[in-house]
Amino acid sequence: MKCERCGSRTATVRYAEVVDGSLTTWHLCEECASERGVTGSLTSLAGPLVNILMGLLEGGGGAASVDSGPTCPRCGLTYEAFRRAGRLGCGTCYEAFASQLKPLLRRIHGSTDHTGGVPSTDEGGHFRRKEISKLKRELTRAVAAEDYERAAELRDTVRARERELGGTETGDVDA
Amino acid sequence: MWTLETMMSEAAGWLDASGPEPDVVLSTRVRLARNLSGETFPCCSSDEEAERVRERVLSAVSSCNYLTNVLVLRMEDVDAVTRRVLVERHLISAAFAEDGAGRAVVAGEGELVSAMVNEEDHLRLQCIRSGLSPVDAWRMVERIDSELERNLHYAFSSDWGYLTACPTNVGTGIRVSVLTHLAGFSRTGRIAQVLKSISKLGLSVRGFYGEGSAAQGGFFQISNQTTLGQSEEDIANTVERVAGQLVNLEHEARSELTRTDEHRLEDEVWRARGILANARMITSAEVMDLASSLRLGVALGIIDAPGLAALNRLLVVTQPGHLGRTCGETPSARERDVARADLVRRSLAGLN
Ligand SMILES: [Zn+2]
Ligand SMILES: [Zn+2]
Repeated sequence: MKCERCGSRTATVRYAEVVDGSLTTWHLCEECASERGVTGSLTSLAGPLVNILMGLLEGGGGAASVDSGPTCPRCGLTYEAFRRAGRLGCGTCYEAFASQLKPLLRRIHGSTDHTGGVPSTDEGGHFRRKEISKLKRELTRAVAAEDYERAAELRDTVRARERELGGTETGDVDA
Repeated sequence: MWTLETMMSEAAGWLDASGPEPDVVLSTRVRLARNLSGETFPCCSSDEEAERVRERVLSAVSSCNYLTNVLVLRMEDVDAVTRRVLVERHLISAAFAEDGAGRAVVAGEGELVSAMVNEEDHLRLQCIRSGLSPVDAWRMVERIDSELERNLHYAFSSDWGYLTACPTNVGTGIRVSVLTHLAGFSRTGRIAQVLKSISKLGLSVRGFYGEGSAAQGGFFQISNQTTLGQSEEDIANTVERVAGQLVNLEHEARSELTRTDEHRLEDEVWRARGILANARMITSAEVMDLASSLRLGVALGIIDAPGLAALNRLLVVTQPGHLGRTCGETPSARERDVARADLVRRSLAGLN
């Protein structure tokens, strides 16, 4: 039996991975197996995964669109090029393709909202902005639960944080 | 002095079976994906940009208190055989071993901490620990990351967190994975079922086992699948909790084996030891299978030597790249099998 990856050398190793809950088995030669095996990197699987998910989102990969979608103003990558390669070109791509990426991220991660760590230096006020949006969500919940005492407290905290940030966040606090 | 030669002559520190649950979990790896703000990601950058990113990252590395005794290799200075060894030692990915501009690898003493510069992202920082230690490994990698952050302005969005080249890593950029040895499950015929339930918990499983039978080898990597919407600590805790439960279940499967089929198990272990200690030609798949039987035998007290650490090291040093270093340029598969059998016999010398 020939290796299912390179198609040239003899397959001597069976390699298994679980995709979406079912076990898939490949017959690989020793070279290909050692590349993908115990020492292999998870990232090598990320590309195809993105493509599959995008296929699902857009109703089967076959639907060829003439429009190549938006283009990143910083690195010049088109959304169509991202779709093919599964890789973004720079941080600005995330803003340029925001409306396309949102459903994709929801599909991959089940979320579109980062709740993990933030840069320790907090340059540009990321951390405080994050905290403010969290407080605002809490405020909305407090209002919905008619807990007006808590809501008033939260509103004052949000206002104070926004002042610290330098008035860039002028959105309405009573959301 | 920590040099390439000393590194190559020793086994990685995380193979020493000193961590928690060493009979089931070989190692835990936590890596973070980071990119520099205002720089194009490696896939799309020019050689000059990649070069500039490399120098910025390496300069931050050199002023990081946790990375004082590290080996820095610029990949253009690394030959093909050494690259392959680095892949087998989990220091670089297979894709990174191919040519690319501005690539570098950083390896700390004992290879517990390492980094790739200009892989898919500008920086991939990783910490590997022996045994089941996701939370500890995360704390270590976080300390280093925070120090680096003082000198590197990372690409970050308050909505989407750390921005990565692939959207599957965005947010925390964290991947927590444990390398497990599910030898019991592989022999009780319940492995597929177990792996399926792990993947239903939102974790991904990858495996590797030899030709012949799904019940051989039984080494699987289990890791988080998503990186956005949960904190790093929660992700590390989830992997630690699920892997911890898996360890308990694997122990049960092993005692079931001992109860129901003790003689067959003993026979398998002693035969494996006999073959490894005497074979004159052996493939790496076969080493994997037999070392798996020996690991199980040591864990269950059927034999007491070689220990888990020696067996862990055997799994790495019998890989093709490591052998390539000892038997010279482009050996044939047959020459490699002879050299491998030789190496295995020497590692197990004194047992017979
Ligand atoms: Zn192949
Ligand atoms: Zn871009």
